[in-house]
Amino acid sequence: MPRNVRRAAFFLAVLGAWQATHLWGPWPSYLLPGPVQVADALWYGFADGTFLIGIGVSLRRLLLGYSFSLFFGTLIGVVLGRVRWVDETVGSLMLGLQTLPSICWLPLAIIWFGLNEKAIQFVVVMGAILAIAIHTSDGVKNIPPIYVRAGRNLGARGWRLLVGVILPAAPPSVLTGAKLGWSFAWRSLMAAELLFVSLGLGQLLMVGRELNDIAQVMAVMLVIIALGLIVDNFVFGRLERRMRRVWGLASALPGRPRGRRA
Amino acid sequence: MAEPVRSAPKLTIRGVEKTFVNRQGSVSALGPIDVDVLDGEFVCFVGPSGCGKTTLLNIVAGLEEPEAGEVVFEGKPIRGPGPDRIVLFQELGLFPWMTVLGNVEFGLRLRGVGRRARRRTAIHYLQMVHLTGFQGSYVHELSGGMKQRVALARALAMDPIMLLMDEPFGALDAQTRDMLHQELQEICSRTRKTILFVTHNVREAACLADRIITLTRRPGRIKREFVVGIPRPRQIEDPDVGHLAAQVREELRDEIEAVLEEERRRAKER
Repeated sequence: MPRNVRRAAFFLAVLGAWQATHLWGPWPSYLLPGPVQVADALWYGFADGTFLIGIGVSLRRLLLGYSFSLFFGTLIGVVLGRVRWVDETVGSLMLGLQTLPSICWLPLAIIWFGLNEKAIQFVVVMGAILAIAIHTSDGVKNIPPIYVRAGRNLGARGWRLLVGVILPAAPPSVLTGAKLGWSFAWRSLMAAELLFVSLGLGQLLMVGRELNDIAQVMAVMLVIIALGLIVDNFVFGRLERRMRRVWGLASALPGRPRGRRA
Repeated sequence: MAEPVRSAPKLTIRGVEKTFVNRQGSVSALGPIDVDVLDGEFVCFVGPSGCGKTTLLNIVAGLEEPEAGEVVFEGKPIRGPGPDRIVLFQELGLFPWMTVLGNVEFGLRLRGVGRRARRRTAIHYLQMVHLTGFQGSYVHELSGGMKQRVALARALAMDPIMLLMDEPFGALDAQTRDMLHQELQEICSRTRKTILFVTHNVREAACLADRIITLTRRPGRIKREFVVGIPRPRQIEDPDVGHLAAQVREELRDEIEAVLEEERRRAKER
């Protein structure tokens, strides 16, 4: 596996450069801790449970806000995609709102809901729901009409047509929306958690800053990166691979080929 | 196929007309058309491209509405699509996110057929079109002819009273088409469905139909009817089939030439 070797060598080199800068660079070591200190902070963070609590709190918020957004965003997207006058009115409003970084909703949210869970959830939802709705509506608009005709012909109408034909016929775009919604939700959540006391990973970053404990800050950043990678690979990566295989797009794209067993 | 029982027609098309709106204004696309179709009859519509054949099928299917006239099916006017009239679309409309089995079971599931019965029916029809062993495949893994047969199995599994076939074999190579003609004739004689079949291939029409109806260029009207008395099973290369096809082609010649002429003129104007 020369590719993996290459990659491993690269990351080792990065670690080495980091360690070298830490030892011999112009900055004092409390401003730029080395990999060893960060690994230590990581270890202690997990050992005393603070990181676990942080991960738990943040993920719980994310899952609540995201599943809410996924459900209602998909619903709104389907309506936008199927009903022209709603698209012309509500659709343009949503496109406009989507240009607003969702963290800009935080001041409003704090005034409306107070410094609490609801305010954070609101920001997460505003981050995710618009992207999901807009992509779902794109997907629904671009379904080849033959699928809808075939579905109606076989007796599907209303709700059954929606769930049985329209949504599954639109997956490339719907999946992009879901993925984008997830990353927007994740980013909004971190921003919101940084801005007020909240127990999550964002707050752990701020605690590190207040204590001037840069090793902890970096350790938390690593945790955040790891969570993002895990979700991307194991949830969305898997869904995408499955979709490509089912739709016959596999051969056109890089990645391990997954032959079907006969 | 034996001579169908002479009774009230299964399907009555009366004064059906359709117009389309485009940049130049509204264009009359079809009709008026009157046709009676008997129970168990195999009727082929043949006509130049753009004569509204597909539109006619879609109207019978209930997927489009005529501007004038009405279609009566089993004594009731048609309102909307129904599983008693299943279309085999030119583009097939197989669902790529489902396996072959999922596609064939789709309509049965909507109808509320239980899991076991559904599976049994689907496998029965997949056997009928010689696709046993491909239940778990996805649509993109199949060849053109196989997809065609999946679509046929999906339509037959609904046990419709009427099959509406829109140039179903147009995109296939000659060998596959011949084979499917044989299979279709066999299935017809076994299931005795009433079939409306649209094609521009006159040989195909002569090979399959009990009755061939030629249509004029747009707006499509009935030009002439041929009752086909050639005994079954027929082969596409039978001399009788060829002879009849030549007659039908002769009947259509000036229509097709007129269409070509108009296309040439429109190309020049542009």
